[in-house]
Amino acid sequence: MPILINKDLCVKGCTLCDQFCPGDIIYRLDAEKIPEIRYEDECWYCGSCEQYCPTGAVKIVFPPEMLQSQVPAVSLFGKTEEGTSASSMGKTKGQTGVPKA
Amino acid sequence: MAGCLAALGARESGVKVAVLDKGGLLERTGSIAAGVDQILAVADDGEEWDTPDYLLQQIPNLTDGIVDLKSVETFVRGLPGMLRKLEKLGVPFRDPATGKYFRHRTFGLPGAYHIDFDGSKFKPKIARAVVDSAAQVFLRTMAVNLITHQGQAVGASAFQIRTGAFLFLRARAVILATGDTNRLSRNSSGIPFDSWHCPYNTGDAQAMAARRGALLANMEFTENTITPKGISSQGTNALTGLGAHYINAKGERFMFKYDPAGERARRDLLTSAIISETLAGNAPIYCDCRHLPADILSRLEETLGVDRPSLPRWFKEKGIDLTEPFEVTVSEFSSRRGGVYFRGSGILVDANTGTNIAGLYAAGDCCTVSGGISGAAVMGYEAGREAARFARQNGVEKPALDRELEMEKARLFAPCAASGRVSPRAYEDRVREVVTDYIGYRRTEGNLRKAVEELRRLQAEDDDLRATDAHELMRVHEAKNIREVAEMIATAALERRESRGSYAHFRADFPNRDDDNWRKMIVLKKGDGGYEVSYRATGAKSPASENHADTD
Repeated sequence: MPILINKDLCVKGCTLCDQFCPGDIIYRLDAEKIPEIRYEDECWYCGSCEQYCPTGAVKIVFPPEMLQSQVPAVSLFGKTEEGTSASSMGKTKGQTGVPKA
Repeated sequence: MAGCLAALGARESGVKVAVLDKGGLLERTGSIAAGVDQILAVADDGEEWDTPDYLLQQIPNLTDGIVDLKSVETFVRGLPGMLRKLEKLGVPFRDPATGKYFRHRTFGLPGAYHIDFDGSKFKPKIARAVVDSAAQVFLRTMAVNLITHQGQAVGASAFQIRTGAFLFLRARAVILATGDTNRLSRNSSGIPFDSWHCPYNTGDAQAMAARRGALLANMEFTENTITPKGISSQGTNALTGLGAHYINAKGERFMFKYDPAGERARRDLLTSAIISETLAGNAPIYCDCRHLPADILSRLEETLGVDRPSLPRWFKEKGIDLTEPFEVTVSEFSSRRGGVYFRGSGILVDANTGTNIAGLYAAGDCCTVSGGISGAAVMGYEAGREAARFARQNGVEKPALDRELEMEKARLFAPCAASGRVSPRAYEDRVREVVTDYIGYRRTEGNLRKAVEELRRLQAEDDDLRATDAHELMRVHEAKNIREVAEMIATAALERRESRGSYAHFRADFPNRDDDNWRKMIVLKKGDGGYEVSYRATGAKSPASENHADTD
């Protein structure tokens, strides 16, 4: 869960976290219940809800994927096409076609 | 930002304005929802470099020759006035301690054009001005399709993302300003919404414009940033701007191998250097601030959380501080501007923000003039005034659109029918796989053809997308828009058979820049069987004339 809400600190009827979230994730529809984190996969982890909560009841929780990323950087750069020079890229400087000043 | 300034420009011109925004509070939506820590500015108050004329002369070189100089001139000449206007609206650009602008030179610009400031209240100030101007604001409202009548933009269809209420807005002119496109490719956390720029910006304007026959350009150029490994965050530009070094696994400060300006090179060159070092086997790459004086380090620590309030705590939980090097990589990529200011990737606009569709205007990161917050502000304001002028002179007075209304309503809510089998999340994941693997940073004809093919195959599933409620309906329309933008990127990247702008567009099969054949913009128009391609001259005639702002 990306956003934790402390029910002891949360103020009844306050809707600031719902409003300040730039997405559509936090729902405060019932003043008696703590806000619902309805679409946890859509959190930007921006921290607006935590920053603007007037009582410090909201806390962003970073998942392990963000704190101990195991994703190899190279996997973000795309597949290389077989039989092309793409797989040998990065061995020489100035290969990006940008003229040097 | 562009949308808010457009609303202000139009209201100041005396016309009625409706603003649609997917967010719940206008003060906290869009790219600078959480804040911003620097802005590109021309103060025009003394220094030779600090004038529009000086900056304009540098534009062709700064954009690798691919830029529409006429529209950029509107942007650059509007910068000093916009700085004053934003200050009047209450944005605190001056350092409270000195009363002066705290400026620094970065991103390869030919002067200290950036102002560092506390922009945590920037968007709230501007949004408040919009609300005070009596513009009608529709929140949690997603615009889906542009409505045209006899070739002219006359409104938009939209819905409320919590209640599902349908809106069919009639207008004498329409301004699109939905920002850039994110959630396009994978990143180092594997979490799609952990993105450098706002993940709720999903190319809605680009896609809706394309579907109605608007022209889009520069779509092959994509952009990313340097980011701490594990979090794709804004806020790290200030590190580079204030003097951080980048070192590889061998401890070498490598940026000078790639550009004489070292860490002060353009953003696309910085991220490209990190990609090249990684591919050369020199990863991990680290950001190194150990040499910086204590006052700069404390300033950096203070500003880290301005763009992204959660970033200081991420550093803390990760157990790193600025006194030791920390690992960085590149973020996912966005469709915005290819790493350079002034040349945007998106809806093709003229010098007055107009498009090829009468009554349709565009501003900010969704169009071909993109210059961060200041570009959005200047061109947004221009769009507001131009659209107001058009609305008064040429606007269509309430055409009969009853049939369109019913058809549009049916089209918009079609995913809510029970027969759909495809989840928008799975659909979006597949877009990211294709974009990461087959567009990527080492583009080749075979892979790009595969990308176009796969993305078009995915489009065949559009009618099977399923929405269970209004929020999910938003996810369906967002997923379709992200796919549409991805197809445009793949199509334009396949067309540009050269490399330009470093990894903003690198063709491994055409690794050199080819000014003789490709010093031109690639323009796309949506047709029945994919995108039709045409070309457009840039206004910059030849490399030899680049030192002169030739706007012929």
